[in-house]
Amino acid sequence: MIEAVTRFDSFENANIHRGLYDLSSTATKRYEQIRTKVAHFLGTENSNTVAFTKGTTESINIVAQSYLSKKIMPGDNVITTIMEHHANFIPWQVLTQTHHAELRIVPIDPHGNLDMNKLRALIDSKTKLVAINHISNTLGTVNPIEDIIAMAHKKNIPVLIDAAQSISHCALSLDQMEYDFLAFSGHKMFAPFGVGILQVAEKHLGEVLPYNVGGGMIREVTNERTTFRDFPFNLEAGTANISGVIGLGAAIDYIGSLDKTDVSNHIRDLTDYCVATLNTVPEINVVGSPSGRSGIVSFTVTDIHPHDVASFLNQDQIAVRAGTHCTQPLLASLGLGATIRASFSIYNTRDDIDQLKASLIALIKFWS
Amino acid sequence: MTKEELEILYKSKIIPASKEPYHFEKHAQANTVIEAYNPICGDKYQLYLDMSEGVVQSAYFHGFGCAISKASTSILARKVEGKRLEEVVALGDTFIASLTGITPMDFDDECLKILNELKNFDGRVDCIKSSWEAITHHLKEEQWK
Ligand SMILES: Cc1ncc(COP(=O)(O)O)c(C=O)c1O
Repeated sequence: MIEAVTRFDSFENANIHRGLYDLSSTATKRYEQIRTKVAHFLGTENSNTVAFTKGTTESINIVAQSYLSKKIMPGDNVITTIMEHHANFIPWQVLTQTHHAELRIVPIDPHGNLDMNKLRALIDSKTKLVAINHISNTLGTVNPIEDIIAMAHKKNIPVLIDAAQSISHCALSLDQMEYDFLAFSGHKMFAPFGVGILQVAEKHLGEVLPYNVGGGMIREVTNERTTFRDFPFNLEAGTANISGVIGLGAAIDYIGSLDKTDVSNHIRDLTDYCVATLNTVPEINVVGSPSGRSGIVSFTVTDIHPHDVASFLNQDQIAVRAGTHCTQPLLASLGLGATIRASFSIYNTRDDIDQLKASLIALIKFWS
Repeated sequence: MTKEELEILYKSKIIPASKEPYHFEKHAQANTVIEAYNPICGDKYQLYLDMSEGVVQSAYFHGFGCAISKASTSILARKVEGKRLEEVVALGDTFIASLTGITPMDFDDECLKILNELKNFDGRVDCIKSSWEAITHHLKEEQWK
């Protein structure tokens, strides 16, 4: 990935959809080939379903502003869940508030699973969208996306999936799913920061309108009026993050070269091993015990604040996130001020988890 | 900061100050209540000040936060009691500026010195600063009223 970006920046650097010189037309071709690559990665032949964005946050905001704000009426509702990242919570809160609509929040059960009965009860004829994460970035819960899509589609309600945490777990079969909108970020799949994807199902392509206007996204401009290109080009106003997209293409090649089942088994094994290991220490409290958990384990340590824990772990070269993880509504519902979060990728090993435990035990002893 | 230095600092100063913080209790009847909140980590304290004739007569605090923010707020509560509003603002401004590492620091106070040293401890400046910023900001607004 780094080599691909460096090669582009060093030798192939040119803007796209602009010049007729070789460098520019090559860059344009590469960029559009990566759009196709992303489409294939997501299980479709139609590359025009794929828009490049800055990341998950921007992708979700586009759906809120360019799609739903044109459709939502007073008295309608949007359904999201208590375990969302703020990126998939605030856009709906703000949108429903400005349109005098209702935000309906699906709770979790005491284990950290989504309350599916509650979700079923909340969906009604006024529901305009169900917006849900695939894997919770705080609890690690893997949500039953296929069931949720089926439930919503039975009532013709579109579904947006926040796949930020699941996109690198290719074995989760996102490419088989019939979602309406999919959002994810490059940096969660070994691609650079500041590039991401919004994928839109074919039947909604004409309903996602421009949200930023300017160069590159127009068909014709006169003094009086402008006509715009179709999705996805109507979203890509101005100069794009071309190196980022080049990196995203290389990251997809890399992920594609891995064995899906191996990746998934490895992450599951580390997750289960981490939970089991941390549960052997009485002062450590693992948050939640969902029936499916992948890649993420949140915990607290009795009497030691998560920030202090993280600072001590840092001294032992262990990098964890501590705080509210951009999920304040979730932590409030759990009665927690903050947690420590261990997250795993393909490069982690069981040994890392043993070291985590050893460091935590040393800290607990030191603190007492 | 090495791990040894960190451990010594925590053991000798931070943990004791955070385990037995000064005036750590709710004081709802105080005439000035200020919230110190760090949205990134979720730390949140209420500072309860009793002010009369421009002087902080008593300072209490309560809430949730890490050992560093608790120790820092505890030191703050102890320091501001008996001070005039403008003195508190001046102390707050100087202390916050000292945390940038650019403005030199010349407190003779041992506790403030230690807090200041913690700025070298990556990523934790906000934990030290949050309550100080909240009180300084609030009292400045009082002054401008
Ligand atoms: C589940 C989830 N949604 C959304 C986001 C936001 O992604 P970005 O900051 O790349 O827009 C994240 C990132 O942490 C996430 O974990």
